[in-house]
This record gives sequence, C-alpha cells and structure tokens, in this order.
Amino acid sequence: MFEGLRAKLQKVQTGFAQSIQSGSSEETPLPGKANQTGEEKSPSLLGKVKVLITDREFLIDEKDINEPLFELEMILLENDVALPVTDAIISHVRTELTGKRRKIGEPVDTIVETALKNAILDILGNGFDLISYIRGHERPVKILFTGVNGTGKTTTVAKVASFLKKNGFSVVIGAGDTFRAGALEQIDVHARRLGIKIIQHQAGGDPSAVLFDAVQYAQAHQVDAVLADTAGRFHNRVNLMNQLDKIRRVMKPDLIVYVDEAVAGNDAVVRAHEFERAVGADAVVLTKADMDPKGGAAISIAHTIGKPLMFLGTGQGYDDIIPFSPERVVADLFPEGP
Amino acid sequence: MLDRLGTSLKDALKKLAGKTVIDRAAVEELVRDLQRALLQADVNVKLVMQLSQAIKTRSLDEAPQKGMTVREHVLRIVYQELVNLVGVSGEVKLGPQKILMAGLQGSGKTTTTAKLARFFQRKGLKTAVICADTFRPGAFDQLSTLCAKINIPCYGDPALQDARVIVKNGLKSLGTAEVVIIDTQGRHALEEDLIQEIIDLNAMTQATHRWLVIDAALGQQARDQAKRFHDAISIDGVIITKMDGTAKGGGALSAVTETRSGIVFIGSGETIEDLERFEPDSFISRLLGMGDLKALVERAQETVTDSEIDINAMMRGKFTLRDMYKQLEALNKMGPLKQIMSMIPLGNIEVPGEVYDVTSTKMARYRTIMDSMTATELDDPSVLSGSRIQRIAMGSGTLPEEVRELIKYYKNMKRALKGVRGAGGKFNMQRMMKRFGGM
Repeated sequence: MFEGLRAKLQKVQTGFAQSIQSGSSEETPLPGKANQTGEEKSPSLLGKVKVLITDREFLIDEKDINEPLFELEMILLENDVALPVTDAIISHVRTELTGKRRKIGEPVDTIVETALKNAILDILGNGFDLISYIRGHERPVKILFTGVNGTGKTTTVAKVASFLKKNGFSVVIGAGDTFRAGALEQIDVHARRLGIKIIQHQAGGDPSAVLFDAVQYAQAHQVDAVLADTAGRFHNRVNLMNQLDKIRRVMKPDLIVYVDEAVAGNDAVVRAHEFERAVGADAVVLTKADMDPKGGAAISIAHTIGKPLMFLGTGQGYDDIIPFSPERVVADLFPEGP
Repeated sequence: MLDRLGTSLKDALKKLAGKTVIDRAAVEELVRDLQRALLQADVNVKLVMQLSQAIKTRSLDEAPQKGMTVREHVLRIVYQELVNLVGVSGEVKLGPQKILMAGLQGSGKTTTTAKLARFFQRKGLKTAVICADTFRPGAFDQLSTLCAKINIPCYGDPALQDARVIVKNGLKSLGTAEVVIIDTQGRHALEEDLIQEIIDLNAMTQATHRWLVIDAALGQQARDQAKRFHDAISIDGVIITKMDGTAKGGGALSAVTETRSGIVFIGSGETIEDLERFEPDSFISRLLGMGDLKALVERAQETVTDSEIDINAMMRGKFTLRDMYKQLEALNKMGPLKQIMSMIPLGNIEVPGEVYDVTSTKMARYRTIMDSMTATELDDPSVLSGSRIQRIAMGSGTLPEEVRELIKYYKNMKRALKGVRGAGGKFNMQRMMKRFGGM
C-alpha cells in the first residue's frame, strides 16, 4: 500500500522546494532595493532581508507555500485522507514551515520532508503491539471486535486467531454474530481450518450469552486469548448499539478492537467516532488495505479515533495481516533518498 | 444520503436570498461550500472541480429567467448540474433476464442478491439465484437461508471449487426460472485471477445485466475499482448499499461516471425488503430539501392494498386519528416512519424529533389505545376531553398519560403534514421556508 500517496507526496515536496526556492531568490535582491519596497509591502519582507544580512538565513514566508499547500491538500483528499485530517496535516505543515529560518546551503528538501514526516507521525499516533500486551496481561485476554457491516470482522477474527496461534498463544473464538445468515457457518469453517476451539450457540441467540460462555471456557481451560466476533451494525441504530453495550457489560473485554476497511471514505471518521462514543475502542484494525494502494483512510482513522492501529488486513489468506507501526508507514511514504 | 450536503447547501443559498443582482462573491462562496460538501461526501475530486466550475460559469453567465429570483436561478443551475452528475437511473426490465452481481469484498452482494430476488418475485416473475461464491466460508448457507425465507430456489454447491462449473450446472437446473441472479465472490481490481473468473462467468452466462454493488462508504477508491470492473465486464448498472448508515454514497457517483451507467437500486437496511429503485430526479430533490412525493406514492401503492392511506386527503391537511390508525397499520409494510417522512416534501424542515422516535412497540400500544376510541373521537380528535381520556385509558388498559402522549404525537404529525399542503412546484422553496418560519 501507500504507493500512490508516496509518489504524489514526492511530487508535492518538489513543488514546495521550488516555490520556497523561488520565493527566497526573489526576495534576495540588493539590500538597497529591498529597503525601497520594504515599507509598502509587508514588514516580513524587511525582516527577511534583515535575517539575510545578519544571520545569512532565509525566512520562509507563508505566501511562498500557499500554492503547494493547496496542491498537497488536493492530493491528500484524492487519496482518501478525510477532510478534517487533511486540514490538520496542512496546518501542521504550515505552522512548521512558516517563519522557519533556512540557513543558506541547507537543502530545502530536508526541511519540507521533515515537516511532512512530523505532521504525519503526529497524525498517526502510536501503533498497538498485541503480542506484548498479551504477555504483560492477566490471562485470558478478552478481545471484542466491533464495526459496521461488511468490513471484515469475521475474517479479521480468523486472521488474528491464526496470528496469535503462530506466536504460541492458545485461542478460543466466540461466535457472537448470531444475526447474519451464514455467519455461524463462516466462522465455524475458519475455526476448523485453523484448528481453533470455537464456542457458538444457534442462530438468533443472544450474542452476550455466547461470548460469556466463551470467556467461561477460556477461564476453565487456561486459554490465553478470547476473540469475540460480533454482528456488523450501523452506528446510527440505537438498539444494536445498546446490544453491543450489553455485550461489553457481560463479557468485560480487556480490549475493544474496532474494525473498518481501508477503502472507506469520509464516513469512516463519522462511524469510528460513533463507535468510540458508544462502546469505546482501544485499538483499530484496518482491513482490505490491499485494495487501496494509497492508504489515506489509515491515516484518517488513526487520527480521528485517536486510538492506535493494531493490524492491517492485506488479503484473503490467514497470513495476510501485518502488525501496524507508524514508523514503517512513514518510512514507506518517504523512502530514504537523496 | 447527502443530508448534510443538503443542509450546508441551504446555508449557502440563504446568503443569496433577497439579492436582486447576481453577486460574484456570493456565488463563489456557494461554490466553495458545495465543493467542501461534495468532497466530504466522497465525490471524486475531479468531478467536484468540473461540477463547481460549471455551476460558477453558468450562474454568472446565464441571465435568470423572467420572474425568477437570483436564488432560484442559482438553485436551478445547481440542481441541473447535480442531476447531470448523478446520471440517469439504470434500466430495469421486468422480463426474463440473467443478472451477474459484481463487487468488492463486504460490499453487500449476497444480501443485495436476496433483496433483488424479492423485488422480482414481488413483480410476479419466477426468480431463482445461484451462489457462485466458492471462497468465503458460509456464503452458500447465507444465501440459501435468505432465499428459503422468501421461497426462492437457490442453487449452489459448497463442495465444488470452480465457480464456472457451479454456474453452468445452476443455469441447467434452474431452467424454467425467468429471472436468474448470480451472486459472485467479492473481488477487487488488483486480483487478476478473480477478475479473469468474472470475465469468464460473464462470457459463459451471457448475462443481460452486470451490476456493480458499491458500499455507500466507499471513498475515492470507487473510481479505480469501478474502472477495472467496467473494463472487464462492462458494468451496466450500479447498486449502492448500506445507505441506512451515515455514509453519503459520493463514491458511488464516481463509479457511475466511470462506467457510464446509472444507479439502479439503493439498499437501505438489513431486512429483505429494504431495497429502493433509484430515481435521480427525486434523489436530487431530496438532496436539496425538496421532498419526493413520487417515491412515497409508488411505495404506498405497492404495499398498501386494503388499508389504503389517502395521501391526497393527508396532503389537503385532513388528517384524523383514523388516518393515523391506518398509517400505523401500514407502517410495518411501508418501512420506518422516518424513511417515509423524508420522502414527503417538508422542505427538510426539522420535524420535531419525537415524531420519529416512536418504536414499534409504542406503535402497537397506540393502536390499542385507538381501538378504545369511539368513531366520533377518531374522526374529530378535538372532542377528547379529560373524562374521555380517562375512559379510553381504562378501556385500553393504559395510563391517561399514554393517551395524552398519543394525542401529542398526533398533533405533531398533523402539524408536519399541514406544512406539506400547497408545497406545489419544485422551486418555491422560499415560500415553503416562510410557511415553516412560524413553526
């Protein structure tokens, strides 16, 4: 992922560099000429010249970067970065660049790249390391998966189960989606293929009861982790959100993991917020990241929900899941270059 | 969908109210607001730029028609350009046909397949479905459970790995069905082997329609994904699903542009009946806060047979408890009140929240209370005095407060409907605003 955004960002970096470069070169005339126009224009011009003379530095002016900033905004939006998040990144870059003094000879690229990197790192927050969480926590660790319909909760549960099993933990799955036709069969097949114990009741049953039983089973059999699947629900359905709240009260999860898809647009932010409000969320899993070579939604959700990303789902196989780390994303977006 | 777009658009239009000359600054501001709103709704960036440019140029260049205020003039242009953007509604024939469903993982293909089967079944066509999803565990169970509920034959074979073989056998065994809907596995543009599979399925079945199912929440990706599907099997219709959430479906508009097709249906709920035909015109009307009578009447005709609601009487403002009783009776069939109300041209005026916040259990209780009323009371609720309320409460085994609550609900409802009266043509929003100003 991120290929699209990476290429675009590189382009906009050069845009910044050029416009700062040209901005600076325009504003480096002889001191005498600058003094003539200095009073009519803005005082910043005078300051700029002063800086030039005294410190041998350039001052980056806001108007030098306005155009590339607008370009950056469009690029971020086009890459599914949500509007408020785009605004946050832009203002971060703007504050960091405006009024910044650039030493003569210091490459502009570095300044711009650092500003962008900082902005994105700031937006992404920290990742969530599930393995060390489980290691440092009393067993069983109860993990509840939530999210809207069709984001891939059940598949994610199977993938995480397989991931934990590979890392030497014992796992039990609670089949909490008793509503959607075929959901029980789906998770049952996954569990059988992975050789993982599954607790389920019949279709239409109370999900709280199923998940309670799953927790009981885990306690009785010293299982390390309980993964609780739930039915997809929309955040604007009060009854369904109440049901989720009941599940939370009954099974008392240690972690609530919100699952959404990386290809979702601006609505991702709305619903992430609503889920966070209704039942809370400790970590986020983004699925279908392989569909989107851009990855803007990842950046958006990480920022809005203010919760760390735990995994990225990147395909249909059980191993298509990668633990998320912000440093890796930034390294991916800005490959070490000139 | 696009509710919020409607609101912010209205805010922007307010600034044009009362102006007699077209004000460049005001138009530019309107266009900027429109841009932000559309981007927020996940409409493709390039489409938004095209649209806003067109609106700007036309608003400033074209002279307003005689008798039209500046606001009406701009509103008309915005409306026309949006209609252009949304495109025409995809064609749905009521005859023998094969429909191939395509879409990304988790976009709602299987649920929509069942809903479509129900749609054609209700139109009196012999319908059957084939489950060609050989990958996702439980896919066949899901589809066959849904189909069993509505008595639709469902062909599938979880033991087989090749979707092509399943479809071939399925078409053979479902020979007599008029409408065959083929549900396929979710796939995305970068999965070459799966794209090849759907190309093969399309060639083999010679499907009449190839419909692309798009999640309303899909973002800017919609364009690229739709393009790949279109290149592979030339999509001729788009279905937007999960419109009951807060997503605005702007991504689907990109898909429509990319495939040069139209939106055929909108999925807006989890039950099998929650599928609406897409009407671009009424869709835009709703979007601009001008309600959509057509869809309401259509829906009412289809579901309400014996206990008809006299929409026209309601529109004339003659709305008694008896009408409300019938309405409550029909409600289960017609869908949630809010959905219906959103189709009545209330100019998107805030109807008091309590009108909507009535759960189905409360509805049932209201009906019980009304069963204890006399004919006079039902026809003329103004006669309801304290002692009558007492009697009704006793008779229906409820509390007087509940009876009062019902009367309050009725009054709210009546007031809301009264506003509809005389809403008339499409562009007299101003008049409607005034009418509701006092509410």
